[in-house]
Amino acid sequence: MKKSIFWLLPILLLSSCGPSGQDGTSVGGDVSELIFSKFDGNLEKERGAVLHILENDLAKESGYLKELLDGFNEKYAEYGITAVDANLDEYTDLVNSGPYGTGPDVLYQANDSLMKYVPGKHILPIPVDRLECYDQVSQIGWDTFTSDANYNSTFTYGVPVNIQTPLLYYRKDLLPSDWQANWDDNKNNIPDMVETRNSMYQYSKQLKESSGGTKFGFMRAMQDSYFVSGYLFTYGAYIFGNNNKDTKDIGMHKGNAKYGAKFIRDFSAVMDNRCTDLTINATGYSLLANGEMFATTNTPDTTRSYITTFRDVLINPTGQYKMTAEEANKYIDENLVITTLPKMPKNGDVTDPNETEFIDTTMMGGIHGYSISAYTKYPNACLAFLDYATSYELLKKRTETLQLSPAREDLAEVTTPINKEIYNMLENGTIYMMPSIEELALFWPSAQTLFADLATDGLRKDNFRYDTLDKIQAALEKLSKDVYDAIWTLQ
Amino acid sequence: MVQRITNYFTALGKVIKNWFIKLGKNTKSFFVNLPRNTKNFFIGLYQIIKHYLITSQYPVYLSAIVMGLGQVFNKQYIKAALYFLVEVGFILFMVFLGGNYLSGLITLGVNQADPILGIQGDNSIALMLMGLVSVVIIIVFIYLYISNIRDCYRTRNVILNGKKPNTFVQGLKDLLDKNFYKTVLAIPLIGVAVFSVVPIIFMILIAFTNYSSSLEPPTDLIDWAGFESFQTIFGAGNISDTFFKILGWNILWAILTTVINYFIGLGLALLLNSKKLKGKVFFRAFPILAYAIPGFITMLAFKFMFSNGGPINYYLKLFGADTIDFLGIDSTWTARFIGLFVNAWVSTPSIMLLATGILSNLNTDLYEAASIDGASKFRQFYKITLPFVVFSTTPVIISQFISNFNNFGVFYFLRGSIYSSGYFVASDTDLLINWLYRLSIDQQNYNIGGAISILVFIITSIISLLVYVRSPAYRKEDTYR
Repeated sequence: MKKSIFWLLPILLLSSCGPSGQDGTSVGGDVSELIFSKFDGNLEKERGAVLHILENDLAKESGYLKELLDGFNEKYAEYGITAVDANLDEYTDLVNSGPYGTGPDVLYQANDSLMKYVPGKHILPIPVDRLECYDQVSQIGWDTFTSDANYNSTFTYGVPVNIQTPLLYYRKDLLPSDWQANWDDNKNNIPDMVETRNSMYQYSKQLKESSGGTKFGFMRAMQDSYFVSGYLFTYGAYIFGNNNKDTKDIGMHKGNAKYGAKFIRDFSAVMDNRCTDLTINATGYSLLANGEMFATTNTPDTTRSYITTFRDVLINPTGQYKMTAEEANKYIDENLVITTLPKMPKNGDVTDPNETEFIDTTMMGGIHGYSISAYTKYPNACLAFLDYATSYELLKKRTETLQLSPAREDLAEVTTPINKEIYNMLENGTIYMMPSIEELALFWPSAQTLFADLATDGLRKDNFRYDTLDKIQAALEKLSKDVYDAIWTLQ
Repeated sequence: MVQRITNYFTALGKVIKNWFIKLGKNTKSFFVNLPRNTKNFFIGLYQIIKHYLITSQYPVYLSAIVMGLGQVFNKQYIKAALYFLVEVGFILFMVFLGGNYLSGLITLGVNQADPILGIQGDNSIALMLMGLVSVVIIIVFIYLYISNIRDCYRTRNVILNGKKPNTFVQGLKDLLDKNFYKTVLAIPLIGVAVFSVVPIIFMILIAFTNYSSSLEPPTDLIDWAGFESFQTIFGAGNISDTFFKILGWNILWAILTTVINYFIGLGLALLLNSKKLKGKVFFRAFPILAYAIPGFITMLAFKFMFSNGGPINYYLKLFGADTIDFLGIDSTWTARFIGLFVNAWVSTPSIMLLATGILSNLNTDLYEAASIDGASKFRQFYKITLPFVVFSTTPVIISQFISNFNNFGVFYFLRGSIYSSGYFVASDTDLLINWLYRLSIDQQNYNIGGAISILVFIITSIISLLVYVRSPAYRKEDTYR
C-alpha cells in the first residue's frame, strides 16, 4: 500500500477536524439552473483569484504553458486574476487531491481520465455553449465529454482540445529504391506498404529475411493493448457495450474480432521477440532513427521525440550521416513521414498478397481536454481561462508548438494535412474512443495477457496455441469472460 | 376538695411555667451555642474523615471517583492537578469530539458529499481513522486512570509506613535516573503506536469494508462488509485459484531464497576468511559494492540485461544462437530462476558480512582438536562451523525468510507488466505482496488488499514462530554461552 491511502493519513487527520456534514441527500429545484448559477460571469467577485492550471509535460517543456499563462494573465489583469502552473504531475488524480484542497482548478487530461471524475462529482458541468470554440468542435468531441451520470441530467464536463490517435511514422529514405516500379500498384505515388497492411507485411517479411533478422519493416510492442486493440475493433470488437457504458456486455470476441487477433499473431512473425515486451516503447525512437525499422505507430504527442532522436543520429559526428543541424532538419522534413494507418485486409488475412479489398483501420484514441475542478473557488475565472485557452489563436499556437491534432475543425482545416485527416477520422468513427469509466482499468491486464501470448505465438517454432481461427475465437471469448469476471467478481 | 383542686392546678401551672422557662432557656442556649456546636460537629466530622483518609486507603477510592483527588490527600498537588486535567480533557474530548468519532466508526458516515453543489459530506476514511484514534485515546485514558489509582495506592502505602513519598520534582528526576528506561522507551513506543500500530489496525479494518474501486471517499461513503473480502478470496473461483497458486510459489520462493542466500553468503564468508586467500580486502570489496548499489537499480539493470532487446539476447544473436524470451509470458521457470539469481545477488553480501563477523568469534582450537581426531574439512564444517553460525544467526534467518516472503521488488521490476493466463490480475511469478499491490493499488480494491495483508501476516507469523521455537537458538539457549 505504498502508493496507497496511508499517505493520506495526516491530511485526513487534519481535514476531519473541521466541521462536517450538511445534509447532502436532497437537491431541490432545477439542478441545471443551480449548478450553472456558479457561472454568473461576475469576474469582479472573483477579483484576486489565483487559478492553478494542470497541463501536460509537453506544454511545460515546450514553453507553451508559459505563453498561455502570460497571455491569460495579461488579458485579465484588470480583475487581478492570474493563472499559474499547478506544478503537479500531469497524471495527478483529482480524487486524491481535490477534496483536500491541494488539487488544480483547471485540468488538462485525456477524456478517460477526466470523465472518470464525473460519477464522483469531482469536476463541474460546464456551460460550453458560452465558449467561443463551441461551434467549431466536432459533436463527437462534445459527446465524449458528455455524461448523464449525475442528477438524471445530461451535462458536458470537458472542452475538447486535442485528438489523440495512433499514426504511422515511417522513413521515406528506407523505402526500396524501386518502390515506384514494384511497390506502387495503383500508381498514385504513395508506397503500397503505407497504404495497405498486406503490402507492409510483405515488405516487413522481405526486410527481415534479407537482413538475417537485423532489419525490420513495421515493428511495435504487440502486447500494448492501447495500440493493438484497434486491430480487433476494425473487425467489429468493442470493449463495453452501449457506447462503452455497459460493463456487463464485453465484446472483445464480437464480429470478426478473430481476424484482428490473427493479424497480431501474423505480424509478430515478421518482427522479433522485442515485440512481446514493452521495452520497445522506449527504444522505438532510436530503432526508427538508426534505420533498424522502417515504420511504427505512435500517437502525435511523440512526434517531437522521433524528430529529436532522428536529428541526433543525423548530426552525430561519428555516425553514418554526419550532417549539420540545418541539413538534418531538411532531411527530417523530407524523410520522416507521419500519416494515417494503412488499411486492413477485408478477408482478415494479412499474409495474403493477392487481397484486393481493404477497410479503414479503427484505432483506439482519445481526446485531451480541459475540465474545471468542482473544488475550485473561482468558477467564473476558470470558465474565462477555458474560453481563452481554447480560442482559435491559442489553439493554433498549441497545435504548431506541440505538434498535436486540434479538436477544432477550423484549425484542422488550416494546419497540417494530417490534422485534417485525423479530424475526419474522428468524424467518420475510425477512432474508437477510449472508454471513460473506471472499469477500463480491469480490461488492460487481461487484454495485455492475450495480446502478449498471441505475439509470442507468432514467434513460436512449435506448440502453437493460436494456429487456427477457432482457437483464436476461443481465446477472445475467454478474454471477454476474464474482463467480465475481473469487473464483477470484486463488485 | 376545692382546696385540693386549686392546689393541683397551681402546681400544674408552676410546672408548665417552669417547663416553658426551661424551654426558653434551652432554646436560647441552643441558638447561642449553635455556631459553636455546628463548628464542633464539622471539626469532629473532619477529624474522623481525616483520620480515615490519612491513616487508611480511603483516598484510593476518591481517586477512583475523581482522578487526582486521592493525590490531594497525599499532598501531591501537581500530580493531582495533572491527573485531574487528564480527566477533564478526556471528558471534554468525548463530549465534543470522541462521541461523534466513535459513532462515525460504527456508521462510517451517513451524509453523502456533493462537490458540484458544494455540499460537504462525511468522509468515511477520516471517520474510521478518527474513530480509531478515539479508541486509542480511550485506551490511553484507561491506562492513565488505572495508573492514577495505582499511584495513589502505592503512595498511601509509603505514607502509612511512615515514610515520605516522592515529590513531583523527585519523580521527574527519577525519569532521568532510575526510571530512565521509561523515558527512553516512551518516544519509540509512541512512535510505534502512531506510525505502525494505528496504520496496521487501519488496514485491518479496511479489510472488513466494501472499499473497492467503485467507491471514492471522501465523495462516496464506504460501509462495513464483515468477512466479504475473505469470502471473495476463498469463494470466488478464479481469485481463490490464484491465491493458492501464488501462495504455493510464495512459500517455495521464501524457502529457496533463504537457503540459497544463506549458503552463498556463508560460502563467500568462509572463502574470504581462508588463510590461503591473498588480497582478502580486495575481493571482499566486490560483494560490498553489489550491496551498496540500491536494490531497485540492480533489479532494473537485470531486467534490461534479460529483456528481449537487452545485451544478453544481443550477444546470443551475434553468435548465431536463437534469442531467448527470458522474462516473457511463456518463461515461468526461467523468470523464476532469474528472480532467485537476482535476489541472491542483492542479498548475499549482507549474509556474507554477518557470517564473517560470527566466524571471527569461532574458537580455532576446536578445528585443531577436530584435525587431530582425523575429522575431514567437510565434517569440521558440518559439525563445528555450521551449528555455530546457524545458532547465532537463527533470528536473522527468520527475518530473511519473512523479508523474502514479502519480497516486493524482484518480480515487480522484472515482470511487473506480465499478466499470466489462469491467474486473476497476476503473473505466475508474482508473490502475494505483488498480487496485493496489483489488487489494491493498480485495481484499487483496498478491501481485498487488506484481507490479503492479514493472511500474509498470519502465514508469516505462524511459520516464523514454528521455526523459531524449534530452532537451537531457542531450545538450547545456553549451548554456546
